[in-house]
Amino acid sequence: MTATLIPPSTTKLPPSTHEFAEIVHRLEAGGAMLPDTPENLMQIIGLYKAYAVPMDFYWRDLLYIAEQVFLNPLPFFKYFISDEYLRRQNHYAGDNADLRIWRGTGSAHPELLEFMEKGELKQKLPKLLHHWYHDRINMEFAEECMRAMLWHGRDMGMGKFDAYLDSEEYQQNADRAIKAYFKGNPLMLGLYKAFPDMFLEQVRQMSYYANLGLFWEVMAPVFFEMSDLYDEGKIASVPDAMNFLVNGIFAIAGRPIYHHVYINGECYEIIPKSKGFMWLYEAALPYVEAVFYRTSPFRGTKSYNAQAGQVPAEQKDFHYGVLYADKFPVGTAGIPPTLLAQDMLHFLPPYLVEYYKQHCRGEDDMLIQLAISFQRSMYCVTSAVIQALRTALLYPLDDPNPEHLMANRRFFEAQLDRFKRPEARLRNIQSPDYR
Amino acid sequence: MLSVLIWLPMVGAAVIGFLPQSVPTKQVRNAALAVSGVVLLWTIWLFTQFDLADAGLQFREYLPWIETLGMNYELAMDGLALVLVGLNSILTFIALLSSSEKTERPRLFYSMILLVCGGVAGAFLAQNLLLFFLFYELELVPFYLLISIWGGAKRGYAAVKFLIYTAISGALILAGFLGLVWLTGNSDFSYEAALGQKLPIELQVVLLGVLLVGFGIKIPLVPFHTWLPDTYVEASAPIAILLGGVLAKLGAYGVIRFGLGLFPDAWSKLAPLLATWAAISILYGAMAAIAQKDIKRMVAYSSIGHMGYILLGAAALTPLALVGSVSQMVAHGLILAILFHLVGVIEQKVGSRELDVLNGLLNPIRGLSSISSLLILGAMASAGIPGLAGFVAEFLIFQGSYSTFPIQTLVGVVGTGLTAVYFVILLNRTCFGRLDNATAYYPRVLFEDRLPALILAGLIIFLGVQPNWLVRWSEASSTAMVAAAPAIEQVEQVAVQATANPELPTLD
Repeated sequence: MTATLIPPSTTKLPPSTHEFAEIVHRLEAGGAMLPDTPENLMQIIGLYKAYAVPMDFYWRDLLYIAEQVFLNPLPFFKYFISDEYLRRQNHYAGDNADLRIWRGTGSAHPELLEFMEKGELKQKLPKLLHHWYHDRINMEFAEECMRAMLWHGRDMGMGKFDAYLDSEEYQQNADRAIKAYFKGNPLMLGLYKAFPDMFLEQVRQMSYYANLGLFWEVMAPVFFEMSDLYDEGKIASVPDAMNFLVNGIFAIAGRPIYHHVYINGECYEIIPKSKGFMWLYEAALPYVEAVFYRTSPFRGTKSYNAQAGQVPAEQKDFHYGVLYADKFPVGTAGIPPTLLAQDMLHFLPPYLVEYYKQHCRGEDDMLIQLAISFQRSMYCVTSAVIQALRTALLYPLDDPNPEHLMANRRFFEAQLDRFKRPEARLRNIQSPDYR
Repeated sequence: MLSVLIWLPMVGAAVIGFLPQSVPTKQVRNAALAVSGVVLLWTIWLFTQFDLADAGLQFREYLPWIETLGMNYELAMDGLALVLVGLNSILTFIALLSSSEKTERPRLFYSMILLVCGGVAGAFLAQNLLLFFLFYELELVPFYLLISIWGGAKRGYAAVKFLIYTAISGALILAGFLGLVWLTGNSDFSYEAALGQKLPIELQVVLLGVLLVGFGIKIPLVPFHTWLPDTYVEASAPIAILLGGVLAKLGAYGVIRFGLGLFPDAWSKLAPLLATWAAISILYGAMAAIAQKDIKRMVAYSSIGHMGYILLGAAALTPLALVGSVSQMVAHGLILAILFHLVGVIEQKVGSRELDVLNGLLNPIRGLSSISSLLILGAMASAGIPGLAGFVAEFLIFQGSYSTFPIQTLVGVVGTGLTAVYFVILLNRTCFGRLDNATAYYPRVLFEDRLPALILAGLIIFLGVQPNWLVRWSEASSTAMVAAAPAIEQVEQVAVQATANPELPTLD
């Protein structure tokens, strides 16, 4: 799964006058928004690996919740994933993969299983104690991403997935599943009769659980493979990493997005595969928009931001995503980025641990250092998405026609316009001193 | 026994001062800490031996010295001196802990600090006016050097200003002492000999006024305070701790010991004026602190306000208020020390003391969260939040002084409210808010940075929840001192009677 983007002839166009002209030129040359340095490469690949292990849990649990827990009114144990879902074969890893992206196992990653057994404490305790001590994979981050997709779904104007959630067909499918799930439970059925919209909204949320789970099922093996290729010296630059992602995006773009629920062994197709919702348009792009760009102020800070007039009136103006986020509050209790950073901290490759020890406060502020590396790595993923969109919608980078190249440039400049906002971290990641 | 508190640090200072150049800075610091640690242990032992029921002087030491001048080596302590000696010992240890292991010219630096420790202890323990004056002046030189060599950018200016003010203070105190002894026709400068003098009240008022101005400069009280902000701000953190925590208390001790102790009648007469003076100092200090943009300067101005409470309590002339004043000396010493230490750490790590620059220091990973948390505790203690040492002292002063000076006391209460105002400003700007991504790559806070503040915080909390350990030592002495002074109303009454019923000539 490798491809090389051919650098265009830069003489065909005058230099860009955009604020981020250097980055525009880099994109036109097939590069990424992130400067191509060995240090950046090490950080982003190391983070992909550290992210992929908890992500291997995230996608399994998201699907477990969407398919099995479903509308359980007291879902206390929704993070206690069943063995079936831990053994579940990833469609893009292992011997039985539909398309084998990662050469490793299709069931849960060995490091994940080891961590789930003893946690950070390195001690086998009852599951509940590990859970209460947050010595576990923190699904709260995954759910925050899911909620961002659900919340911004209406407003993003992307794909057909979200619009389908309002269709008559979806409501009928959901209705069947709800009635089957609460069969023999007059209390819940009575509540459903009294407040049908509330239940329907919960099912919509479950559909987004499934959507995100299916999205990450693809991304985890992609990141694992990139890490292995880097270790083997086969990914040697930031553009190499980005190209791998671009090729990966196209390879699995058509993966179906669906939502099935299993009730008493019977499958209820709330969103059937036959609807033809595709991974790229119904999961990947909405995910990037909702999570990388928008999201929302951190939980707990929303009211303060609102009081200070810092929350925009329009949802589409929200820019709190990873590409904009201030990573310095990482470490503050309870906020999703802290929980993600803690998850990744457990699975950092040794070379990255050594690297962090040499900078800033060493081990003491590793959470922030890795969160900033994560921000760099997501700029690389976003670069891949931008290049993939350019490939899908516009022209090759080595197109001989200057007008086509100019159209590409306008596209890149329009994308980079979104990073002109003062809070965008594009300027910061150009410097290695931003840690 | 008491001589150990004076001569051990002085001998230590001499030894450290002559250590060879090859001894590393850290070892010099450890040696100073060892000396100070022994002094502290000795002080704790004295606390265990102190008889709480005895209001008089204890642990007396007497050595004839220059008898023709009336100057002898007389040491003793009562409850008032005991707590201040304790404060001196603990704050010297804290100041040494607070000092950097990379201090330049360490031999001179640490020997000067130990010299200050011995000199201040000598002043607290001296029972001879000239001996007191000797020790009082002795710490002037080391402080001048400590400010002028290891201070900030304007250290030269600050040190000279400090020197001039303190020299004038010393001259006035000496004048007061000489006046008292010469006018009473005494040839002995012994404190006990000076007690119970029968000078005319007008003369007493003049002599008391001279002493009040002399010690008022040292405390300092408005309007003799202008040396303080420059000196405190330019001095390094350990020296600021000693200046605010110990030296200022020497001024307050002098006011009570020699002003109230030697001139009780005049004190009662001037009490309303003193209470008003205290109230003005409290308000001025608080208002000036609110206006500051430099957090060290803010803490420095807060000191002016808080020293005003001590004068208010002493002026009220009730046992409760005087115990409150003594408690305030200890509480304020500890609180000011923790604040100056923490401000010093912030300046060292962040490189700024400006309110407009500092922000978000409570950030758990990249900020100075433990230092900020301790700063919040110090600010709360300074603002008189219950459960902390500052509350105990201020409450006792207000409770004790309200019956005598209700208006001045209420002004003092307002001052406490204003303390909360400027500390909320300080904490809000410094600790809360957003850490600046562009600049906030501060070095990590080490355990040794926290240690002095942790010790002080422990004491502030302990004395806040166990106030008996703060007040018990000075209760008997304070009560005796107040009992020796006529009640304020009584003095006024006597004055009125004297005016209304002038003595008639006897008719033969």
